[in-house]
Amino acid sequence: METDHINQLPIFAGLAQETRLDLARRSYIRALPAGHTLLLEGMPAESAYVLISGEARAFRMNREGRVQILARFKPGDPINIISLLNSDKRNRATIEALSPVTVLVIRSADFDALIARYPDFSNILLHHLADRLAKITDLAAGLSLFAVRARLARFLIELADLSPSSSGWTQDEIAAHIGTVRDVVGRLLRDFEAGGLIQRQRGQIILLDREKLIQAARE
Amino acid sequence: MSERTLPSINLSLCTRCNLCVSQCPELALIMANDGPTFVDLITCSYCGVCEELCPTGAIRAPSSVNWSVS
Ligand code: SF4
Ligand code: SF4
Repeated sequence: METDHINQLPIFAGLAQETRLDLARRSYIRALPAGHTLLLEGMPAESAYVLISGEARAFRMNREGRVQILARFKPGDPINIISLLNSDKRNRATIEALSPVTVLVIRSADFDALIARYPDFSNILLHHLADRLAKITDLAAGLSLFAVRARLARFLIELADLSPSSSGWTQDEIAAHIGTVRDVVGRLLRDFEAGGLIQRQRGQIILLDREKLIQAARE
Repeated sequence: MSERTLPSINLSLCTRCNLCVSQCPELALIMANDGPTFVDLITCSYCGVCEELCPTGAIRAPSSVNWSVS
């Protein structure tokens, strides 16, 4: 049984060979186009995924159609783990491919079997859940504690500190991430530019002054 | 991103309200029969104003976010 695709994923680096072999047996790879909806919020959770290539995002939409982005996934990130572990087994968010993606798919029954048999697999999930919890806590704290200007500054710093992303961010997507609307993001970006914090070039937001941005993120 | 990157306009979402055309600081857009169109490949400065103002979200001008290298 080939385990190459499993070996390439850093999240599975700590797995024993036996676990890898069974995971390889119990999973398969799918390629999906940009814009494809992998999961719909509220529907039964049928599979967990690990992103092998491309980018995807998790979001929720309220009744007025306003979107709150909960996470943006890059290669190596697991998707939909919490939904499969929850007692109601429903997808917690909608997941959409932002570019053509390749995913490792683990069906719900196989996911449960892997957890039941392999403590090293469960251990990996625990670490992942701790990371997600920390991120969601930061997101909730940011939304409740900081003004939109500060949230935007924090978000820009976070994005620039990450490894380069293959797809850019629209004002809509930034707004959905920080819990505001597009025209507010547009106005704030102009304000940051006028204040020398950023410079906008064709298709790029360049962060110029870390100190000023950190200060803006605290205000 | 290349010098010629332009915002993308999804004409199926466009209501022909003309806001992007009238507010573009570079006069980079004209209203054609089927919706707003760029006058050429170089006038648009990719400032994002049209994306910000479009009431239907028909315009996308994505940007990557990076630290200045200098
Ligand atoms: S602002 Fe939007 S809806 Fe109005 S004309 Fe321009 S693209 Fe169409
Ligand atoms: S990005 Fe700016 S310059 Fe280009 S069309 Fe839109 S408003 Fe005009």
